[in-house]
Amino acid sequence: MNAAEYTRNDVPDEIVIRDLGVTFQDNKGEDVQAITGVNLNIKKGEFVSLLGPSGCGKTTLLRCVADLQEPTDGDIHVEGMTPKEVRLQHKFGFVFQSPVLFDWRTVKKNVELPLEMMYQTKQQRSERADEMLEMVGLTNFANHFPNQLSGGMQQRVNIARALGIRPDILLMDEPFSALDEFTKEKLHEDLLRIWRKTNKTILFVTHNIQEAVFLSDRVCVLSPHPGRLSAVVDIDLPRPRTLDMKETPAFNQLVLKVRNSFEGGSFS
Amino acid sequence: MRKKHLALTEKKWFQILFWAVLVIAAWEIGATAVAMTKRTPENILPHLYQILAAAFSGKAVSGGMTASGVVLTSAGATLLRALGGFAIGAGLGFLLALAMKLSGLVEKLIFPYLMLIQLIPVLGLAPIILAITGDINRSRLVIAAILSFYPVAANTLAGFKAVSKDKYDLMFTYAAKKRQLYTKVLIPSAIPYLFTGLKIAAPMAITASILVDTLQGDGGLGCMLSQSLKHAMSIYVFWLIVFFSAFIGIFSTYLISWIEILVYPEKRSAAGIGRSAGKEKKYGRSTEKNRTQKEPGPETL
Ligand SMILES: Nc1ncnc2c1ncn2[C@@H]1O[C@H](COP(=O)(O)OP(=O)(O)OP(=O)(O)O)[C@@H](O)[C@H]1O
Ligand SMILES: [Mg+2]
Repeated sequence: MNAAEYTRNDVPDEIVIRDLGVTFQDNKGEDVQAITGVNLNIKKGEFVSLLGPSGCGKTTLLRCVADLQEPTDGDIHVEGMTPKEVRLQHKFGFVFQSPVLFDWRTVKKNVELPLEMMYQTKQQRSERADEMLEMVGLTNFANHFPNQLSGGMQQRVNIARALGIRPDILLMDEPFSALDEFTKEKLHEDLLRIWRKTNKTILFVTHNIQEAVFLSDRVCVLSPHPGRLSAVVDIDLPRPRTLDMKETPAFNQLVLKVRNSFEGGSFS
Repeated sequence: MRKKHLALTEKKWFQILFWAVLVIAAWEIGATAVAMTKRTPENILPHLYQILAAAFSGKAVSGGMTASGVVLTSAGATLLRALGGFAIGAGLGFLLALAMKLSGLVEKLIFPYLMLIQLIPVLGLAPIILAITGDINRSRLVIAAILSFYPVAANTLAGFKAVSKDKYDLMFTYAAKKRQLYTKVLIPSAIPYLFTGLKIAAPMAITASILVDTLQGDGGLGCMLSQSLKHAMSIYVFWLIVFFSAFIGIFSTYLISWIEILVYPEKRSAAGIGRSAGKEKKYGRSTEKNRTQKEPGPETL
């Protein structure tokens, strides 16, 4: 199935990626194609995963959408604007793989940081930060410092901070890959609950098939050398999703389908 | 956790005690040996109790002042200039680090040559500075500033450079202005490095100021030091100054650590780690409770 052909009626496209290619130079000066010929339309309010083995260009693709990386070929439009215009309007929330917290700021002040960049008043910031911390269940830790939190809690602060600016689009780069299974599953549920409540568009990078299937409306499978979009799998599991769905045959069939869509049929 | 914390403190006290006993023992063995073999042992290595006695004796040694009186009055002139030079040098060092961070050109032009300042022997430089400034107090300031400058500039720059790419990316995503990047990320990140530089610079500024004193007979710790060595007054003034300077040097470093705790909130929180560990445990329990209702069975790749 071609990604560009994918349509989901009546909802407008939020992100349109056309013939996207990124070429890096390695240290010998030779060209390395990180990604090539990627076409993808993402609907408003959709949860889309980018799945693939290490080095297939998932991060590069996400960074292009966020305006952190200049594409070599093709273009990206977000709500009809360039990524730069969208970024300057604070419409992106980017959740990095590591929490990237500032250790001299309390948890609450970390969440307030992007709001400071938006010139919100002290009171606005404080109220918003409290709201976000409540959403991720960290109200009692507002005045702690990041080094006093566990990895999972730090990652929740990271998410709270990204959501605080009310972004239209949430870009997440393997946000849970460093976490244990228990924390991860808890955060999956949290993320889906927040997503349902706020109706954001989420582009979620992962290399975990179960994670991608459980969370997404669609899973985009990327293949390496050069990185390209090799398949898009619709996940028609009902919502809201619950952890026990992972035991159902429908879920396992989709996992199998995604796994088989990797070129050569294997992915490890 | 609590027990571990206590054990750690005990260990630290033990270390301090260990070194104190070792140093005192070595000193006294040396002093005893010197007392048996030399004619004027107090010039080489007096007993510690002799130095203590000199510190608290009411006997005038110079111009009607006791030994301690001489030390304390001359310390004022020296330390005040050391402090002034330290403040000027540290301030300029910080600003230069900032300028080097802001402009790659400034860094390329200045940084490789900055360490040359470190290589110039202060003693050689001091008479030249004195000749230029024509004033002992100004010379103290200038020399102390020159010596404070480098450690502060180099450490602060290292602090700016230690900021990870992630943090830049994060600020870029939030469309931060350059000024915001500096005030909210780079400068706060560099503060612990700045303090490392300050801790190195403070004792150096004091040493520099004492050295400059010796150039002129106008008072100051260094001046008294050399007069005492030349037997113009009691030799115990010399020993008192040695101990006093060592104490001030160590104290200056501790003082800066203490100021650092005041200005850098994360350091303050270090004391609260024990408390938060308890809470984290509670968090762990609650998630486990959530989990037990479901089969784990995570299918990993
Ligand atoms: N700044 C860069 N300079 C040169 N090559 C790069 C750069 N960034 C990425 N690459 C190359 O581009 C390719 C894709 O990298 P990318 O980080 O997008 O992969 P990824 O799918 O996110 O992998 P992972 O799952 O390990 O994070 C890799 O081959 C990598 O070596
Ligand atoms: Mg990546």
